[in-house]
Amino acid sequence: MTVAFKSAIDDAVIDELRAIVGDDDRVLTGESSRVFRSRVPAPFPVHRWADHMPDVCVLPRTAEEVSEVVKLANRLRIPVVPRAGGTGLSDGAVPLRGGICVDVKLMNKIHEIDLVDHTVTVGPGINMLKLNEELKRYGVFYPDDPASYPCSLVGGRIGTGGWSLLGARFGHTRDNVISMQVVLPTGEIVEIAEGGGRKLRKSSTGLTLKQLFTGHQGTLGITTEATLDVIPRPECEFAAFFAFEDYDTAYRTTGVLTKSGLATLAGVVLFDEWKIAYLRRDDEAYIPQPESVKAVVAVAMYGRKLEVEPASKEVMRLGRSLGGKYLGDEISAGDWASRHDRYATPLHGRNLDGQAVIMSWHCEDAALNYSVLPQVREEWHAIVKRYRERYGIFDDWGMFAYTNGAYKPWADYLVEIDVGIWEQKLDEETWNAWVNCKREISEVSLKYGGSITACHGATRAGDAELVPAEMGSAWPVVKAIKRALDPNNVMNPGKQSLDEAYE
Amino acid sequence: MADDVQLLDEFVERWRDNAYGCFSSGHKFCREVCPVMQVTRNENHTPTAFHASIVAMEKGLVDVADVADDFVHCTQCGACELRCPNTLMTGDFYRHRTRTVDVVKAMRALMVETGNEREGWRIWNERLAQDHNEPVLGETRVLQEHVADWAEGLDIPVGGETILFVDCEAAFARTSYTRAFAQLLQRGGVEFGLMREQWCCGGPAAEMGYVDLARKHADHNVADWRAVGANRIIAPDPHDYIAFTEDYPRYYGEDYDFEIVLGVELVNDLVKEGRIELTTPVERTVTYHDPCRLNKRKGVHEAPRELLRSVPGITFHDVDRVTQWSYCSGGGGGLPIEKPEITAEISKRRLAKAADLEVDTLVSACPWSERPLSKAGAEASIDVLDLFELVAQSAGIEVGGHQA
Repeated sequence: MTVAFKSAIDDAVIDELRAIVGDDDRVLTGESSRVFRSRVPAPFPVHRWADHMPDVCVLPRTAEEVSEVVKLANRLRIPVVPRAGGTGLSDGAVPLRGGICVDVKLMNKIHEIDLVDHTVTVGPGINMLKLNEELKRYGVFYPDDPASYPCSLVGGRIGTGGWSLLGARFGHTRDNVISMQVVLPTGEIVEIAEGGGRKLRKSSTGLTLKQLFTGHQGTLGITTEATLDVIPRPECEFAAFFAFEDYDTAYRTTGVLTKSGLATLAGVVLFDEWKIAYLRRDDEAYIPQPESVKAVVAVAMYGRKLEVEPASKEVMRLGRSLGGKYLGDEISAGDWASRHDRYATPLHGRNLDGQAVIMSWHCEDAALNYSVLPQVREEWHAIVKRYRERYGIFDDWGMFAYTNGAYKPWADYLVEIDVGIWEQKLDEETWNAWVNCKREISEVSLKYGGSITACHGATRAGDAELVPAEMGSAWPVVKAIKRALDPNNVMNPGKQSLDEAYE
Repeated sequence: MADDVQLLDEFVERWRDNAYGCFSSGHKFCREVCPVMQVTRNENHTPTAFHASIVAMEKGLVDVADVADDFVHCTQCGACELRCPNTLMTGDFYRHRTRTVDVVKAMRALMVETGNEREGWRIWNERLAQDHNEPVLGETRVLQEHVADWAEGLDIPVGGETILFVDCEAAFARTSYTRAFAQLLQRGGVEFGLMREQWCCGGPAAEMGYVDLARKHADHNVADWRAVGANRIIAPDPHDYIAFTEDYPRYYGEDYDFEIVLGVELVNDLVKEGRIELTTPVERTVTYHDPCRLNKRKGVHEAPRELLRSVPGITFHDVDRVTQWSYCSGGGGGLPIEKPEITAEISKRRLAKAADLEVDTLVSACPWSERPLSKAGAEASIDVLDLFELVAQSAGIEVGGHQA
């Protein structure tokens, strides 16, 4: 079969890839294989789809195969884009310059369950829900719980530096990855941990490399195995939702709850009135609530019964202390249980006339401190309003602020504004408008001492060009590391302004 | 070629908005419940890819030939539709249900129309066209003169108001299933007859994209029912039940006025009403396999469990129906014809789930599932029985027939 690619990939490269994996079915050159691996759930410039297609997709089964593929790419200067679930909300897994897509979904084995030292070692292609189905019988679980819990994969979580809905109690992805095996951009297979031991959670030997290899958006290598923490399954779960008639009281109550010192607190989330209005668009969420409800604060706790039961009474007291109204057991338990499915649906899109249109979901995330939440909220909504009114294909789906500090819920928030985008209407002008909108939102985050992104990654146009500014005086260090590890810029090139490392 | 372009345009026009509902959502919650994706781990085989391919067709990036093999990778179990957040969370309000099974069927029809049919399916359907029964016995022909051989000695009349429709697999391959069911009806005092000339329901042909052939078989069957004055059709097989309650009404609209009775619900009612007594203990430790077309496609999960629990002597380790959204035998949607190795692996994994429960028997309620499951069960040393076979045994019926 003759294949023609726009970059350095030719028949000889395909033959070499087939020789590496030894299975033609795992080297995919067909149009559909490439089309499907060019996008993620984030809004996508459908009018320029072909610009984002990889030239070939490889489905490796082992670290050795990944290593040989990357060595080949490095030798021939072919871009490599790692892909796990492809469920990211930014462009980490979207090829910007074609090349080889290394799709790790077949590397989904559980290699070891160690109930003595409390670890599980897995391939990067395993999904957390599936992993926990297996762990359940041992009375333990892996607590990484993003909104994409039923579909995202461990490798992608590591690559993006994922954030967990239960992070305040159990930590986020990087806190639960103890060590990992990584294929570097030059193809070497290395063990990355705190220090030496694969199952050690703290060490001071050498340099602590582990953090470097979580959240790099696939720009520093490909995780081929990970040793994860497993946690005793909590005996009980408690969730409470409180309603407020104004944002300010809800905001202050959020502060009270997060500073309560309750160790079982797994998350506190503050929904603003735009988000409530969005959820009111269907008949299954919040509809029974009167129009006077303008904000909702949700709290969740996990732990032993002897901890959670008394703490739940304190949460009920604190949640009501400034005037919050408990929304009842049904909404509290029900909405918490549906937390992975609930908060964005394309069917809720509305055009300027209020007509329902199918819209894609973009959640622009930032990391912000508690003190600046009200001001950022106002400025973000104002930006989206301006773009909505001018272009008519955007829709404001509201904001939430969610505890962001691992084990320390009191001052850091993942803040999102969800924006509906009428993807079917996108053209070059409106896509550029959207990128500008994103950039303005990110600039507000930076103005208030925040970070462009708490977990999605600053890999998209609109975010990526601001990365050097956010990194500030550390940017030369970042560039030096990238250049040292990836001398030929083959690993997920074009992301996060890291091309500047080669200028 | 011009015709092909027009067909593709019509297809895209028909399914584009449905596809954008998925494309725009992008949650991909369907993936890890998809039985095929769980095995192949290939993104091409995901429901999200099926929908994305329609958007990509609209943009001129792929054509039918590019995606034809992808669309073979589906058992039409319906798990993806249930797990879709659009369906789950807002479906009632917007009267929206993400259609993926229908998309797969429509794409396969387009494959046939545009000369992109699959070789295995082509041969299968040629043989169906020849003998009017699916070639479930391999090289041995399934001739019309043998379509009721399974009923030997049961003294079942032909015709009447109530007709028992027997699936091809059940009529020729797993006749113990059919004999068990027919004798349970007799025990319960249900009057029923057989068709004068029963053809395949046509459902599998429709699932593989052979629309005209499917319709031809439906026409024949409906004409046969009308000729004998039937108004009530008993369908023990879930695949037939789907054909009679979804495909046929689409074909005939309001003219289609038959009452379709699902076998497992009928037998369960007969037991509950005391018309069939289950007195012989069956000393087995079992779990129940929710057939996809009952549980996921039709929401039928209570009746088979009730029926199973009414068998004396049984120890029943149940797995809830929602967990079973991600289970499958791999036997549906023509997959075993084109991709037998994937079907075998899906069944093997299903049996491994049963083995975890330390059961000696996996009970299913669909003959199409029982072929791959039985094969995997033999390797796992777990018996695979049909619910009717088990219930008949408990009713003291000498079933007869054979299982393969």
